Amino acid sequence: MITYVSVGLLALLSLSIPVGIVLFLLGFGVDIFFSPFPLMRGLGQLVWSSSNSATLIAIPFFVLLGEILVRSGVAGRTYAALDKWVSWLPGGLVHANIATATMFSATSGSSVATAATVATVAMPQAEKLGYDQKLFSGAIAAGGTLGIMIPPSINLIVYGFLTQTSIPRLFLAGLVPGIALALLFVLATVIICTVKPALGGPRRVFPWSQMVGALRDLLPIIVLFTIIIGTIYKGWATPTEAAAVGVAGAFAIAAFFGGVSRTMLSESLLGTIKITSMIMLVVIGASFLNFTLSSAGLGRELQDFLTGMGLSPLMTILVVVAIYIVLGFFIETLSLMVVTIPIIVPLVVAQGYDPIWFGILMIVLIEMALITPPVGLNLYVVQGARKTGTLSDVMLGAIPFVIVMLLMVVALIAFPQIALFLPSVL
Amino acid sequence: MAQDILKTLRQVNRAVAILVGLLLLTCALFVLADIVLRQVGASFGGTDEISGYVMAISAAWGMAYTMLELGHVRIDLLRSRLAARGRVLFDLGSMMVLTFTITIIAFRCWPVLEKTLANGSRANTTLETPLWLVQVPWFAGWIWFALMAWATVLAALVLFVQGRFEDTERAIGAFAEQDALV
Repeated sequence: MITYVSVGLLALLSLSIPVGIVLFLLGFGVDIFFSPFPLMRGLGQLVWSSSNSATLIAIPFFVLLGEILVRSGVAGRTYAALDKWVSWLPGGLVHANIATATMFSATSGSSVATAATVATVAMPQAEKLGYDQKLFSGAIAAGGTLGIMIPPSINLIVYGFLTQTSIPRLFLAGLVPGIALALLFVLATVIICTVKPALGGPRRVFPWSQMVGALRDLLPIIVLFTIIIGTIYKGWATPTEAAAVGVAGAFAIAAFFGGVSRTMLSESLLGTIKITSMIMLVVIGASFLNFTLSSAGLGRELQDFLTGMGLSPLMTILVVVAIYIVLGFFIETLSLMVVTIPIIVPLVVAQGYDPIWFGILMIVLIEMALITPPVGLNLYVVQGARKTGTLSDVMLGAIPFVIVMLLMVVALIAFPQIALFLPSVL
Repeated sequence: MAQDILKTLRQVNRAVAILVGLLLLTCALFVLADIVLRQVGASFGGTDEISGYVMAISAAWGMAYTMLELGHVRIDLLRSRLAARGRVLFDLGSMMVLTFTITIIAFRCWPVLEKTLANGSRANTTLETPLWLVQVPWFAGWIWFALMAWATVLAALVLFVQGRFEDTERAIGAFAEQDALV
């Protein structure tokens, strides 16, 4: 059954059938070939119960929040302010890219949205100031991936939903690895640009008065992050409710900067519906496949498989990491996550690993998938925002950050506490 | 002709999507009001339950819009290497598979509603929501998605038979990668 699902998955995906539909088809197949009793009767009930979910409504809310921020000009202000604070480092404006991406990650639940936001405001600067575009654009693509690690995160919501793990705890677990990754990105840039200054661009120093003045422009994002995360951990609101608060906050900020209009509202709503439905088709399909697999006895088969292989827990994790790296070349973030959760997570948990920890490890691997060719959405997004050059510039520029992510994977396996410390004390 | 149909489908579903968006926005306001009320010791009660219904209905009704905007993720590693004719064949094949699958899903959703109607089921919550009230729009959303899929695939077939590969691809091709936002 494992072989059937894995082979079928790759075959159907390569036919470019929509990912959500592929998951349903595999579920139909499991029902026909492997289940002693008819599972199709459960289909309707499953479609109802998996979409009738107060947890998942956080997805459209967080998407909407991001859409509003992007369309109201907050991104440009934040970038300019961060430029004044971090561009004195070797590598100059590259650090502003990473910093802006990190800040937006803290209000956005999506990596591609984060990368798109930063790319739109940053790319014109690179041309104006004569930066080498490889590292510059690679930093945006990589920095953008933090969107799914630093809370709030749509991917962690989906992971929590499908694996029945606590979303607030997942959010907490993602915070330290997310910030650590951002700092490591900065460090990597400093090292690269100290050794080879030509890969960066001019360092920029601003007078103190301007730096202090810029702080005001950082306020909206900081306030928004504090509200969203604060209401969750104060116990005032669930992650879903906090998302609704975030939407209201984003509206208030947009209104403050005069960015609210009819067009802006309808564009934001349309963007939200498009992305939400795309995610929901995949999530409902995954729930159905999950259901058919477990009804047809995947658990037993997995156990047999593992005992047959005789893998130690560590070996299992290394094999899983290798699988994600390879699949990550070809399959996109959310799809990769959702299609593998039903098979991989039970396997890993059966070996005694913490599902919260594994969620974070998986997110790092998925972040890597976002910036590894040939299919790496963030690479395309950043390239889409450039007027010159080829995709391979962005790919080359992202390589140092891929290495950093690999180090993070090793660190997480060696020291699970990086992820688990915060949820265990709070 | 086929082009006009596709254009109309897009316009109609755009309007539907805006309505769904407004529904979500209303739900967000409702949740917000409840959080504030809770701080002063009151509550509407049942915002969770209502959010769930809104999600189920929104997801169902937004599907067709996303389909027409080419928003459902596809992996086009093989497809993108082909010439126009080959790409369009992939698109048609994938669109037909989608249409059949959604039709099956829509049919299988009916027994859920049927049972609710037969038993007069109510939610097992304090609100005791009569379930048909929310399952009728939910079911209608999936039927709508199936109908839209049939209309789109037929229109695309017409374009294909007429040899208008570019138009076909524009109607049912793979998503523009930078537009997919997650």
